Parts: sequence; C-alpha cells; structure tokens
Amino acid sequence: MSGGGHASPLHICPHSSPRVQFSHPTKGSEELVRQQGGGGGEGDLAMPLTCPLLRVGAGQDVGRSCILVSIAGKNVMLDCGMHMGFNDDRRFPDFSYITQNGRLTDFLDCVIISHFHLDHCGALPYFSEMVGYDGPIYMTHPTQAICPILLEDYRKIAVDKKGEANFFTSQMIKDCMKKVVAVHLHQTVQVDDELEIKAYYAGHVLGAAMFQIKVGSESVVYTGDYNMTPDRHLGAAWIDKCRPNLLITESTYATTIRDSKRCRERDFLKKVHETVERGGKVLIPVFALGRAQELCILLETFWERMNLKVPIYFSTGLTEKANHYYKLFITWTNQKIRKTFVQRNMFEFKHIKAFDRAFADNPGPMVVFATPGMLHAGQSLQIFRKWAGNEKNMVIMPGYCVQGTVGHKILSGQRKLEMEGRQVLEVKMQVEYMSFSAHADAKGIMQLVGQAEPESVLLVHGEAKKMEFLKQKIEQEFRVNCYMPANGETVTLPTSPSIPVGISLGLLKQEMAQGLLPEAKKPRLLHGTLIMKDSNLRLVSSEQALKELGLAEHQLRFTCRVHLHDTRKEQETAMRVHSHLKSILKDHCVQHLPDGSVTVESILIQAAAHSEDPGTKVLLVSWTYQDEELGSYLTSLLKKGLPQAPS
Amino acid sequence: MDPAEDWLVESLRLYQDFHAFDLSGATRVLEWIGNKGVFVAGYENLKKNEILHLILPLRLSVKENQGLFPERDFKVHHGGFSDQSVFDLKHVPDTRLLVTSGLPGCYLQVWQVAEDSDVIKAVSTIAVHEKDGSLWPRVAISSSMAPGVLHGVRLSSLKIVDLESQKTTYTSDISDSEELSSLQVLDADTFAFCCTSGRLGLVDIRQKWAPSENLSRSPASGGERWYAEIGVRGQSPGPNIACLGSGGQLRLLDSRNLCHPVSSVQCPVSTPSPDPELLRVTWAPGLDNCLAISGFDGTVQVYDVTSWDGIGSQVEPLFTHRGHIFLDGNETDTSPLVTTHTWHPSKPRTLLSAASDASLHVWDWVDLRVSC
Repeated sequence: MSGGGHASPLHICPHSSPRVQFSHPTKGSEELVRQQGGGGGEGDLAMPLTCPLLRVGAGQDVGRSCILVSIAGKNVMLDCGMHMGFNDDRRFPDFSYITQNGRLTDFLDCVIISHFHLDHCGALPYFSEMVGYDGPIYMTHPTQAICPILLEDYRKIAVDKKGEANFFTSQMIKDCMKKVVAVHLHQTVQVDDELEIKAYYAGHVLGAAMFQIKVGSESVVYTGDYNMTPDRHLGAAWIDKCRPNLLITESTYATTIRDSKRCRERDFLKKVHETVERGGKVLIPVFALGRAQELCILLETFWERMNLKVPIYFSTGLTEKANHYYKLFITWTNQKIRKTFVQRNMFEFKHIKAFDRAFADNPGPMVVFATPGMLHAGQSLQIFRKWAGNEKNMVIMPGYCVQGTVGHKILSGQRKLEMEGRQVLEVKMQVEYMSFSAHADAKGIMQLVGQAEPESVLLVHGEAKKMEFLKQKIEQEFRVNCYMPANGETVTLPTSPSIPVGISLGLLKQEMAQGLLPEAKKPRLLHGTLIMKDSNLRLVSSEQALKELGLAEHQLRFTCRVHLHDTRKEQETAMRVHSHLKSILKDHCVQHLPDGSVTVESILIQAAAHSEDPGTKVLLVSWTYQDEELGSYLTSLLKKGLPQAPS
Repeated sequence: MDPAEDWLVESLRLYQDFHAFDLSGATRVLEWIGNKGVFVAGYENLKKNEILHLILPLRLSVKENQGLFPERDFKVHHGGFSDQSVFDLKHVPDTRLLVTSGLPGCYLQVWQVAEDSDVIKAVSTIAVHEKDGSLWPRVAISSSMAPGVLHGVRLSSLKIVDLESQKTTYTSDISDSEELSSLQVLDADTFAFCCTSGRLGLVDIRQKWAPSENLSRSPASGGERWYAEIGVRGQSPGPNIACLGSGGQLRLLDSRNLCHPVSSVQCPVSTPSPDPELLRVTWAPGLDNCLAISGFDGTVQVYDVTSWDGIGSQVEPLFTHRGHIFLDGNETDTSPLVTTHTWHPSKPRTLLSAASDASLHVWDWVDLRVSC
C-alpha cells in the first residue's frame, strides 16, 4: 500500500485513517470531532453536555417572577408569581410553554419560592392545584408560615370583594402548602441524588432567601428579591464565593440609586409629627407580620427623644400575631440582630398601647397601627371611614395595595369612594404612600456579583428596560458575560463542565515505559479506552479494556512502501536512513538493529532492493495502528528523500 | 442616640425635604439638563470613571399630590465610561452632546448621550495645547449660532472652538499666562473669566482683547486662589458677581464697575480651603440676593447678601447644610469635603450637593426667618 496516512488526534472515535473504516458515530459528533483538532488536553474528552437553558417568564410593570432553569438535565422552576395588574387569567404565568405534553410533575424536578410577596408566590396554589403539580416546593420556614396567610388574604379580596370565579380556594391553598418542604439557611438539601439546593440570607423581608441550585459541577444562583444595605430588623443579603456558572439577579431597581434608609425614616417621622402637631390623627394600615414592628420602634425612639405625649396605638389584630411573628423572627435572623431584639420584647413599648375601637372617636391627635394593610376590611377600614372626612388627618400606606382594595383606590388619587349601600365617602384626609421595602440598586448588584464571583450574570427585569450601561459596567468590572433577556426569551449558556476521569495505574506505567517523561506544559498523546459504567469514568489501557470485555485483542499493522533512488546496497541505505532519522527525531528512540532494520520506537523500517530496478530501493515502513501519527510522519519524511552527505 | 440620629431629628425642623444618596464614585460635577436631570462624573485617576445622567426622584418634580409618589430614588438614565478624571462637564444646550475636561489636560472629550439606549459614548476630542501636565482647561459653552466650546488653561490659551467643524473661531491672542479658575459665557458676544489670582474680566469677542477688568485688586496674598460666578440677575439691582477666595473672603461686584467691589466680607469657614479647586459660589436662581458657597469643609452655606456693604464685615450664613458631615458613612476621622453644589433651577430653596465620600444630597432648607 502506498500513500501517506493522516493523523487523527482523537482517540475515542478515530475515523480519519483512509485504510481502515470504523463505524462512525452520528454525523453531529463527527462534525464535533473534526472541529476539535489539536492534540491532547482534557478538552478533547469533553462532549457538549446539556447546557443550562433559561426561560424567563413574562414579567411586567409590577413584576411577576417565574423563571424556568434547565441545568444538566434537571428542570427547576424559580418562584411562581402573580401579576397584580391583571384581573383575569393574564395574572397567572402561562405554564403551557413549560412542557407541551407530559405532566408538570414529571418534567419539573422541583419548585423554589424565594419569599412571601405575592408577585413571587401568588400563583402557587393555581399552579399546583389547578394546573397540576405534585412535586416538592422548597422555601424557608418563615416563608412557609407567612405565605398561606397572604394567599388567603388575597383570595378573600379577589373572591369576596371582587366576586371572581376561577380562583383558587382555601382548600387549594392548604393542599398546596402540604407539598412544601421547608429549608434552613446554608443547609444543603438533596432534591434527588444529583440535584441539590441551598438557601442564603437575602434580607428584603422576613424569610427571603437566595437559592443556589447545583447539579454536579454546574450551578446557578437565583437571588429573588434582596438588598445589600441592612435594615433595623433585617440584615443585608450575603453569599459566599460559590462561583456559580450563572447568577440570576433581580434587577428591577438596577438602574436606580436608592435614597438612604435614614431619609425614608425621616420622611415618615416628619409626616407623623406634622400631623399630630396640628391635632390630626395618623392611621397606618399594616400587614400583621411585616414592617409594623420596625415602624413602631422608630416612633417609640422618636417619641422618647422629643418627649411627646401623643398616644400611639397598636391594634389587637397585630398583638395576636405578634408573638407568633416574634418566634419566627428570632430563629430566622442572625446573631447580631437577634441580640438587639432579645434585649427588649418588641411588643412592650413605653409609648405604644393596645388599641380599643372606642379610642377612634377620642378627640385630639393620635397614631394608630391597624390591620389589614390594604384597607380592604376589618379594623383599619373602620378607622379609615371615621377619619377620612377630616383634612387634618393622615393615612400612611406603607406598601403596595392590590387592585380592588380601598388602599389601591386612594393611592390612585381617588377622593370619593363608593362603600356598601351606595354610600359615598369623601376622602379629605391626607394620603401618603411610602415605600419601605428594600431592593438592591445598581451598587447592591455589583456588591453581590463581587461576593459570588459567577462566570456569567443574568439580569431579570420587569419591563423592557435599557440596561446596556449596567451590562457594560458588570462586564468590565468582573470580566464576565452579562445577559438581559427580554420577557419570554430563552438564554442558552454553554458550559464546559470538567469531567473527572480515573486513569488506571497500568496505563500510566505503560506510558512511562515509552521512555520519555511527561512534561507539565506539553500535551502528550496517549492511547487508551474510556469506560463509562455506573456514572463512573475510567481510562484504561486497551489491553485491560479488552480483558474486561472478554474480547480478543487484534493487532492492526500498516505497511507503506517508500521508493528511494539509491544505488547502494540495502544495508547502506538502511544505515543512511538510521542516521538521518536519528538526527531529526531527537525525541524518539531510533535504533539500528543487527538484522539491518531500523526502528523508531515500535515502527519498523526495512530496506529492500526493488525487484526490477536496482537503482531504486524500497523502504518498507511498518507500524501498528497505535503509532499511526508517527508512522505517517515518518513516511512523508522518508518520501522527501535522504540527505546526500555520506553517513 | 448617635450624632447622625440627633442630626436627623434636628433636620425635621431644618429641612422641608431631604434625600441622601451614595454614588459609586465621588463627583466634582453637577450639571443640569432641563429641570429633572443632572450629570455627575468621577474624578479618580487610576481607573475608568463613570459619567451618569441621573433623573431626579419623581416626587421632586410633581406639583400636586406629592404624597402619592413613594419613589425617592435617582434613576440612572444614561451612563458612560471615561478614561480621564473628569473635573468639569458641560451640556451643550439643545443637543445630546456633552463636553468634559479633566486630567490629563491635553484634550477635551466630547460625548453623545444615546437616544435609543442608555449609553453615553465618546465621539470626538478637542486638543488643548498646554505644556503643564498638572493643569486642566476650564470650559464654557458658547451659545451663538453654532455651538462652540470656550476653553483655556491660561488667559493666553483662551479659544472658542466650533464643535462641528473643530475650527477655532476666537482666540485671546495675548501672551499673559495667568491661570484661569473659571469661565462663563454671558451671551453670544460676551464671556467672563476669573483667574486664580482673583483677576476678573468681561470680554467682548467681537473686539481685540480689551476686557473690562478689576485692575485695582489687592495684591494676591501668596497662595490665595479665587473662583467667581456671575448671576443672571434680571431686573433686580445690586451686585451680580460673587468672587470667593480660599481664605474665606467673599467679594460682591457689579459687572458695570469691576474696579470697586460693592462689598467684601469674611465668611465664617475653616480656612484655608484644603483644596481651592473645589471652591464654589453660586447665585440662587429662584431667590433674590441669595448665594451659596462650598469648598472649605463638609458644609454648604447659604447667605442673604441684601444688606451687605462695606469691606471686611463679618457675616453669618442664613443656613448651613451639615448633612455630609453627620451622615458620613465612612466613619473615618477625616470629614468629607463638599466637592460641588448647585441650585435647583425652579424650586427656590432646593440644592444638590456632593462630597468627597461619594455622597449626593438633595435638600430643601427652611428659611427660619419666616414664621409659619
């Protein structure tokens, strides 16, 4: 046979030898193999495994979070929020795109809820009970405790106040919560034998967590809502240098620079103070398990400092839940905050007393904290109705109100409200909307990226936003890729997972026996067989593999004839070949054997006379399949002829 | 209660409104664009600096129902990166262009604020020929037919360069190498300059160099540096030029008579200014006879100059903003230094001030003379 060989660097599925045909793998990977090129290195052993795939759920103005992540074959849903702006099915995410056929329970490995705000968990009962999902739902303990209360509240407003049909029922909320598995901070939870998750402290609200999702060496961190500046009762978010492949961060406030917490508090105090100074009454509707305590501490401190005598009241609905909240809270916060609260019982204030509904009719100034928070029913609404007609009074709404509630109406600027029995209530009291919830701004996001050190960053935003500048800032500062998918868009990130492979001692010894020592920087070609068995990868010598498989070893030997013009005898030709090769192939073992043949490692070269032409010598170059590369090289080298100088 | 909390309680009485922000880098620039936006820019010398276009919190812009707007944050509307340390930034009116000056001082950078994205991009440079590498050119925008940039490090290097053609349309053409500390364009034909020595002049660009100047100024006491601003006074009588020295002296002049200051007072500030390049004096656009000064310490002081006359009198500020000192997040021994301040174009008592600790305050002070 003549003709040169063609070296193939890949030893798992070599294919480019022209003389021997191996069965090819599918065309796709043939392409891959062709592209790989080059020699050695562990990259050649890597096949493109399933890349993390992200689909971002539609989220709009108010923001509704629902993100699907596919990582190394596992599918995780992050948050399941309700869109607060819509009254129909548009408020729920469209779950049909997750999987066209097949049950969600089969497709999803788990669902993770970051915190109790409705735009992160509001669609959960709909999802699990009406669409159908029976797998695990992970959240922190406080979230598990508070979620059902908020969901029930929301359900009541939607169904009782607005008369909606096709909404989830109280029983559905209960059934949904039965599927919840509560987790602790920094506790590694095995969802199955490949998928694990871990919760990190996120600040923001009680129980809010950021989650790390890990499969093998690939991981994603989802932040949910978080903040990096500490609060009076909640610390700042914190994560270790976990270096995930991707950090998915909430970025609704990414293009803002936040006013300091102190100034917000100052504004609150100023409004309250001004109102009571002129003899007015201040109503602060609060959610039972929310910021009420923080605002109480603030007022108490201020009242003490200013020596004020105006009464502050706390409605009974709050004190009932307060102890429950207190217990939840104490186990959730860190050491530092815990100490501050252990020193004093949060609900034993000097200046703040329990409210009696009769007090609402008392003349003179006062401040009242009352539930529920959106003025949709109960005590806060009762008090509101009494005080709304007086312009000296003030109502301070500390958070977002759902559509349909009185809170929502007055925050939209409505001054005439239709109550039950066609009664019209004229609102003359001052309405103040204050936001106390903490989110990460541009600075906070940079801080978190600096802490986690991800390979890539993905910004999740509520509306089509221009964040090119922030993207550039992140990319420049941290030298990572930054993605900003639009609503409904899918982002695919390629990863190069490192696959650990055990190499057998026998194979190593065999390579060492070749004579040359391995060099750290130089790639070295070796022959072996990769055995994949029971999630275990081993690289062994071909002989061992054959032995394990119980197959007989076949030797393949190639022979090539090179014609040389040389009038001398074969022996001399052989000597010339020997010295020529020895001078060129300094890294290889070139020997001249007593029988006249020349060996280069295990390649055999023999010189013979041409049967018909005495001026031509025929070099027989023979090599085993394993030495293909060297054999081909030698052949082409010899084809160039031998140097003229005598050996 | 710690001093910060004490100050905050005091602030309830002192300020109508108060916002405090932390920028990612300190700024020496506060340039308005319209009523609702400001530009800030970093001035560090070893890294890329950010130029940001910030939109004021909505509640500061609305006239009614302010209480229904919970948003108290600045929005970063546009951002860009600068290799220079930016010491001055000017917006070219009716365009989306900005001009920055800083160190290195051998060029001015022209930027464009994108319309379809949130990026501020560098588009061209204007060369500045100045051998002294530690100086940077002062800049003002000339608003004649075509926008031009008035710039100079010294009186001798004063030029107006047309932005589009890059042609020089005016030069001072003199050899006087006094250093400039500020430049201000007054109208299409006139600009004012103030040298670091305190020398002031009004120049008509249609004539060969012959400015009206304050020639009989007191000899420059070694090291004292000056900064000036001309207020647009409209109908109200009285001085319209304020000139602030690093030793705490404040001179008021009438542009019609630069040789004889209307008054000269000593401000109660810690002197000398630790960084005279940070001296600022600004006339209030919405209040008669009010101005503000900064650059000596962590305060901004507001003065009512109505009854000022004579030379050498001691005066007291109408209001002192101490927020940067008390809300210093760094908790280092050294108090931050106010780097710049500016008045809100339409809200009469609202100011913005920035300090060396990267803080940015928006404050609406209460005039305590007015009884409520």
